[in-house]
Amino acid sequence: MRNADDMTDPKRSAPATSSRSVIRAMIWATVPVLLVVQLLASAGVELASFWSQIRQLDARIARVAESRGELIAEPLWKMRYDRVTSVLNEIMHDETISAAAVYDDTGVAIARVVARPSDQSVSEVSRPITYINDNIAVQAGRIVIAYSYATVYADTGSRLLLLLVVGLLATFATLIAMRISANIFIGKPLAAIMSAIQRSKQDGRAYPAEIKSLNEFGQLARAFNAMQHTTSGALDRLGHMAAHDPLTGLPNRRSLSEQLVTLSHHAGSPDSLIAFCFIDLDDFKGINDTFGHDAGDKFLVHISERLRHAIEPQDWVARLGGDEFVVIRPEVSNAATAQAFAHQLLDAISKPVRLHDKQVVPRASIGLAVRRAGDPELSHLPALADIALYHAKSKAPGTVAVLDEALQHDYRRRRDLELAIPTGFSEGQFEVWYQSQVDIESQAVVGLEALIRWRHPEHGIIGPGEFLPLIERSGNNAQLTRYVLTDACRALKHLVAAGRPQIRIAINLPPSELADHSLAAELRATCLRFGVAASSLELEITEGSLINNIASASETLHRLRRLGATIALDDFGTGYSSLAHLRRFPLDKVKIDKAFISEIPDSAEDKAIVGVIASLAGTLGLTLVAEGIERAEQAQAMREMGVTLGQGYLYHRPQPLEAVRQWLEGQPGSRVLAESPSIAPEFAA
Amino acid sequence: MTMLLRILLAVSMACGVLVPSGGAVAKPLNIVFVNPGKTGEVYWDMVALTMQAAGRKLDAHVEVLTSERNYRTMQELGLGVVARPDKPDFLILSNEESAAVPILEAAEAAGIKTLLLSNTLIGEDAVRLGPPRQKLKTWLGDITTDLETAGARMADALISAARAEKWQSPDGKIHILGIGGDEITPASIARNAGLKLAADSAPDVVVDRMLFANWTQSEAEQVTANYLSWATRKGIRPAGIWAGNDPMALGAIKAISTAGLVPGEDIQVVGLNWSEDALRAIRAGRLLLTDGGHFLLGGWSIVLLRDYADGCDFATNSSHVEVKTSAISRANLGSVGDLIKDRAFDRIDFARFRAKPGRCGQYDFSIDALVSSLAPPEGTAD
Repeated sequence: MRNADDMTDPKRSAPATSSRSVIRAMIWATVPVLLVVQLLASAGVELASFWSQIRQLDARIARVAESRGELIAEPLWKMRYDRVTSVLNEIMHDETISAAAVYDDTGVAIARVVARPSDQSVSEVSRPITYINDNIAVQAGRIVIAYSYATVYADTGSRLLLLLVVGLLATFATLIAMRISANIFIGKPLAAIMSAIQRSKQDGRAYPAEIKSLNEFGQLARAFNAMQHTTSGALDRLGHMAAHDPLTGLPNRRSLSEQLVTLSHHAGSPDSLIAFCFIDLDDFKGINDTFGHDAGDKFLVHISERLRHAIEPQDWVARLGGDEFVVIRPEVSNAATAQAFAHQLLDAISKPVRLHDKQVVPRASIGLAVRRAGDPELSHLPALADIALYHAKSKAPGTVAVLDEALQHDYRRRRDLELAIPTGFSEGQFEVWYQSQVDIESQAVVGLEALIRWRHPEHGIIGPGEFLPLIERSGNNAQLTRYVLTDACRALKHLVAAGRPQIRIAINLPPSELADHSLAAELRATCLRFGVAASSLELEITEGSLINNIASASETLHRLRRLGATIALDDFGTGYSSLAHLRRFPLDKVKIDKAFISEIPDSAEDKAIVGVIASLAGTLGLTLVAEGIERAEQAQAMREMGVTLGQGYLYHRPQPLEAVRQWLEGQPGSRVLAESPSIAPEFAA
Repeated sequence: MTMLLRILLAVSMACGVLVPSGGAVAKPLNIVFVNPGKTGEVYWDMVALTMQAAGRKLDAHVEVLTSERNYRTMQELGLGVVARPDKPDFLILSNEESAAVPILEAAEAAGIKTLLLSNTLIGEDAVRLGPPRQKLKTWLGDITTDLETAGARMADALISAARAEKWQSPDGKIHILGIGGDEITPASIARNAGLKLAADSAPDVVVDRMLFANWTQSEAEQVTANYLSWATRKGIRPAGIWAGNDPMALGAIKAISTAGLVPGEDIQVVGLNWSEDALRAIRAGRLLLTDGGHFLLGGWSIVLLRDYADGCDFATNSSHVEVKTSAISRANLGSVGDLIKDRAFDRIDFARFRAKPGRCGQYDFSIDALVSSLAPPEGTAD
């Protein structure tokens, strides 16, 4: 029953009107033409017939006149006028003749007959009457017949009327026939196809158009049905493709949001717990690089298969893209079972895989978030799990990190800071603090390192370790560098004014700045603006920034050096600690990382390392700076190993410029610098 | 009625006459005449009367059957006679409208001798059947009048009168109207031909029309009236009217009077037949003349048959006996006027006209011979 209703309904509504309009247009296009042509043709034929009848009548009357004339000739000539009249009378049976007269050769009417009063369109024919016998042929007189076209007009009129009526009837019949046949042959098939389209539009499934005939519409319907079939298959595939990852066949990111909606709607109870595992493969890039992308794809397929096998039927697994997977378990009893499930997944992933005949042990980190099904923020589950994953990746790769309050707090703080960066710049919340570098031997201040701080209105003073990655990620590195540079130049100006022109200021350059060729020119311009020598600036770089773009970094460093600035290699010993770098790049200083200093003098190993570095620097002509000197015995150890400069809390904590200036005023003067000419021998020249 | 009386009279007279002369000549003859005319039609009545008068004189019983101008009746009568068991000796027919031919052929089959009177075979019939006594052995011949000469004589008299009166029309010609009886019968054709002959030989004469009035007075009056009216419109002065017989001439005279003209003074009319009315009109000066006397063919035919029966065959001269007619005008009206008026044809001594022995076929039927043969009228008042 319901099917039947479905079948008839759409036919009656939209398709019916559209098909009717096509038929109406057809009818309007053909029927008036038909009618006009028919009427014109019949009128034309009738007109021709009318003229022919007129001519025929003229000819007939002329023949009558001639034949009567022949009959009348003898009685007329022989003056038998009664017979003339009777012969003339005979022709009055012809109803088209209204009057007739015979005149003799003197022009006098011998006989005259009037049948009916002459009405419209009376025509006359006049014929001479010739009497012929053996001896003579004379004109005995003339016969004149008046006749009327009235019968012809009446005949033609009635025939025209008949033709009009027949034409109208024929047109009407044609109209009906066209309506019926068009409905049968056009309207119905169109309606059937339209109905199929409407139903397909409603639920996206392919409905065939029910047309059995073999004509063009039958062919169209078959083609339509074939196309419907093809299209619906393609749509199914397209829908599947849109919702699934082509490589692994798992649902994709798009499916995830739908799945979350489904979860919130179909959960057993609002309090049932949903475990959301965000899985990220560790070092998948390494696998791609090592084994190639095909192997990488194969690897991903392996992982997806393992995840599929590791889950229960009610669970849901998806690949979000790259090496990211999501597994959702819709009902877990508590957080602990959720965590156990996550570990179970991790174990499944971590079994060795064979790639190119080599055993590879996949590693992954999992961010786990557990939420109640009724949680209004259920849609945030991926983001929450991502926070946990971020934590796991950054703190303990290859483990499961469970989202807790602390992680969420960290996440929120990170987000707050990230969002506050533009305001920080505009409101001058970033401050440059300075920490002194001291000659370990003489205790004289030889330079200051500019260190950035964020005086946040809510979070207070924030160290660069927390916000610099955020700045770098937000693309504000260059702005911050310019900011520091400007501040440093201003500080240098103050130092010169305070009679301390020998103090240098060191600036940390982030890796991205080394690739910026305009840095040297800007540095020069800024120095000019403040009237300070570029040689008073020291630029600190890390080994990491050198490795990423060796050629470009080398170019920038050379330019800076040509301006007179000195270059220092920061945090030496923690990274590659490449000796080649020390030789290849134009370096003036090497700063030993505080990690090596903190255990000194207790750690013999650290002492040995520092000693080697010191002797190497001495050989290469590089000045050494020990960072993080907090105790006097550390300073003593450095001095013994030949490290000339030191930096750390033992000497001075980082402070705003004003505090540093006040502190400097209590320090010995400029002679210290004069006593230590070995700082930058090249610049003296 | 009158016909029956006349027949009875004729039979009784014949019987009365035949008795004394029966022994003197040969056997009496039995003759039947199929009269094509109507009772009261003067010419044919007089033909029958003269035929019967001659029969009385020449020992021949003449039976007259009248077909009343109906040729079908005439054929029925003729064929009835042929079919009689008691066949007559001779059958006299008149080939009016060529209606006598079937009777002629039937009589041949029956062996009855025939004589054609007044109208003989013409046209195809003449060609087909040939001369008398060849194909049709019993067809003895014919006796006719020379009506063409009569027609011409009438026309000449009319023209002479018009010339004398100078009745020329503005075109200088003398305009004459011809009224014929019909266009079919040889008797009519011959008269009309006479008119044409005379008119053609007179360059100053024009026959305006040859009209036909079916031998009747009323139709002649009508056509004459029409003609006179037409002539007036044409600006013609009509000088004379030639009529094929006396009734038509009298009709023309009537029309002339109706038209306000005076016949005999403004216009001359001629007729034919010697009819009583015509003679009266001549006497009154309204009719110029009436030609004729050919009703005597009835008597002459009995003379021929008597001679033939007595062995003197008229075909010795010719099987076609043609009798001349004569005109009666005011000049000779007196001599024959009474004869015609009284129809006293028994005054004529028909035996005097029989062929003389050895001169078979030679007859003198002239008006002078007639006049001299006449016995004085009974009761001669004038």
